[in-house]
Amino acid sequence: MQPREPAEEIKHLQRCVNDLISVLALPAVWSGGEPSHIVHTLLDALLRMLQLDLVYVRLKETGGQAPIEMVRFAQSKKHTAQAREVGAVFEHWLGAGLQEWPPRMRNPFGGRDISIVSLGLGLQGEIGVIVAGSERTDFPQQTEKLILSVAANQASIGLQEARLWSEQKRIASELDRRVAQRTTELGAANEELRKEIAERKHAEEDLRSSEEEHRVIVEAANDAVVSMDERGDILLANPATKRIFGYDPVEIVGKPLTMLMPEMMRKLHENGFKRYLATGKRHLNWQGVELTAQRRDGQEFAAEVSFGELTSDGHKVFIGFIRDISERKQAEDQLRASERNLQMAQAELSRVSRLTTMGELAASIAHEVNQPLTAVINNGSACLRLLANRNLEPEVLRRALEGIVADGTRASAVLARIRAFIKKEPAEKTPLDINEVMQEVLVLAGRELDENQVLVDHKLATDLPFVLADRVQLQQVLLNLIMNGIEALIAVTNRPRLLWVQSRINESGDVLVAVSDSGTGFGSEGDRVFTPFFTTKANGMGMGLSISRSLVESHGGRLWAAPNSPHGAVFSFTLPAAIESPS
Amino acid sequence: MTGAPIVFVVDDDASVRSSLKFLLSTVGLHAEAFDSADTFLRKNLPDAPSCLVLDVRLPGLSGLDFQRELAVRQIYIPIVFLTGHGDIPMSVRAMKAGAVEFLTKPFRDQDLLDAVRIALERDSARREQEKEVMILQRRFDSLTSREREVISMVVSGMLNKQIADQLGTAESTVKVQRSRALEKMHAESLVDLVRMIEKLKAPPGGVR
Repeated sequence: MQPREPAEEIKHLQRCVNDLISVLALPAVWSGGEPSHIVHTLLDALLRMLQLDLVYVRLKETGGQAPIEMVRFAQSKKHTAQAREVGAVFEHWLGAGLQEWPPRMRNPFGGRDISIVSLGLGLQGEIGVIVAGSERTDFPQQTEKLILSVAANQASIGLQEARLWSEQKRIASELDRRVAQRTTELGAANEELRKEIAERKHAEEDLRSSEEEHRVIVEAANDAVVSMDERGDILLANPATKRIFGYDPVEIVGKPLTMLMPEMMRKLHENGFKRYLATGKRHLNWQGVELTAQRRDGQEFAAEVSFGELTSDGHKVFIGFIRDISERKQAEDQLRASERNLQMAQAELSRVSRLTTMGELAASIAHEVNQPLTAVINNGSACLRLLANRNLEPEVLRRALEGIVADGTRASAVLARIRAFIKKEPAEKTPLDINEVMQEVLVLAGRELDENQVLVDHKLATDLPFVLADRVQLQQVLLNLIMNGIEALIAVTNRPRLLWVQSRINESGDVLVAVSDSGTGFGSEGDRVFTPFFTTKANGMGMGLSISRSLVESHGGRLWAAPNSPHGAVFSFTLPAAIESPS
Repeated sequence: MTGAPIVFVVDDDASVRSSLKFLLSTVGLHAEAFDSADTFLRKNLPDAPSCLVLDVRLPGLSGLDFQRELAVRQIYIPIVFLTGHGDIPMSVRAMKAGAVEFLTKPFRDQDLLDAVRIALERDSARREQEKEVMILQRRFDSLTSREREVISMVVSGMLNKQIADQLGTAESTVKVQRSRALEKMHAESLVDLVRMIEKLKAPPGGVR
């Protein structure tokens, strides 16, 4: 190498210092840039400063970043080789480690021989390598080496930073990406969830609104609504239960439904319920049946009950709708009672008017008959006195006896008039089936029998001969006997009220009818019941049996009474069988 | 002066009337019969012990109304009621109003005859009493006013001296007037006089 002129030397050094300042300024240019940008800037700066013919950089692969190769040729050389081709040519020296370059080598891309210098980037070349070549034979001068190494250092730092930066950016972006992705995923999941929630909500709302609807209906219901499980225990009860039964719904839940029934119904219910569970057969009308229920205070009341059934989780649930109809029943009973009172009042009225008539009749009879009787007795008594005094004037006695006869005749005429008055119509006798008449009378008395809870037992013989009788009179007799039986039964409260009606042929071939009751009987007064105006009844006239007996006797029969065993009385009458049968 | 007892029968039934007359005749009683209260009232009653056998149930005035009517007319005749169908309230009313008996037709002859006998005795006694009072009254009426004054004071228990003081006369004058009054009244003693004055004060018709 030739020594330089001092002046030239100074100039050279000055240029060198300028280049160094430029190199030191490079980081400001590439700050924050990409490695490729840094390499670009580096290559351009070195090519221009050191008047190189080629400069090449290879950056090793780091942290997921592809290796970078870049090459610059001096413009004048017009080389077009690609960085990869250049790299392949230099591979021999760049391979495992940096080999010693030959001092001069043939320019593999054509032209004159070149001198090559290579420097590692990073402390041990871990970042990459930079190769500079020049056709100049004095290459590389001391200053050029210095510039190259400073530039390499600067580039190393920049690249390091860029790499870090890039890595950070990459991580950040990866993070961003991941966050974004996760966000998207989460968003999607959220959306999915929201949809599901909305759907569920909707379904729940639907359910709730329908449940709410049912709940409101049940809560507001006027009837007690009580549900029961298969064991017969109460599951639920609505507020009306409190009003109707007196139980707070919470206190009866879990307890047996039978607690809402009177004692006598509990067993019936349990049996019926078991039978239903076993057979599925309903023995009650589920759409409303009248039952007796029991309130908390033990009071029983009439209830109208309807049932429903549903299956929940494989178990049957029964729902009862219980309506308190005691007021309705009471009103019905009152109505019935007032009807009955009205009837009784009417009966009483007719009885009173009958009595009044009878009383007037009796008074009239008394007066009409008493007058001649008084005269008869007076005359008779006077005659007896005269006889006793042996005062025997035939004329006096004759007149007295004439008076007696006249007054006796007069009394009998009065009675004949009364009989004619009472006996208005002659009997119209026709052949009759006594059983048929009996049935007619039982229909007539049906209301009285029902009202007084009297059970009638028929023992009517078939194939009875007809009797020749007046239908109305026979009805009167039978009705009288049946009504007497009912009246004798009204006082009976400790045993069934039974009335037997019987018809048969007796030993004499007559038709015998017996009306028996389990009533109070007539005690020791059995023989007096047929006496007119004799009665054991508070409201009796004492005429019924005596009239009945007359009527039966007018038909050629007999009517008598006997005690029934163990209670009550038997009234029997016979009627002769008709010779002719009806045609 | 007084005639034989007489029984009046009032009944609307002719048989009853004649049979009663006949029955009463067997015990020697005379009877007169009427078919209504009005016909009986038209009759002038004789001065003889009498009674009325009366049917409660009469045409026109009823037996009970008739009883009241007689009381109003101050006819104090004992009544035996007869009835065809008497009730207790009716008989109570009749008995309270002074009836002797209340008999229901047909009755035992003895019951009627007993009732009639009692009725006649009662009427007899009343008539006796009435007659006595009438005589006493006549005697009392014959007294001077001063004599009446004196005996009414005597009867009230005053002494002659007191009477004289009150009347402003001498005791001897009172003595004279007193003895004259006793004489006029046919009183044998002071006690007798007191009894007479009592009878005069008694209400008419009463039988005690």
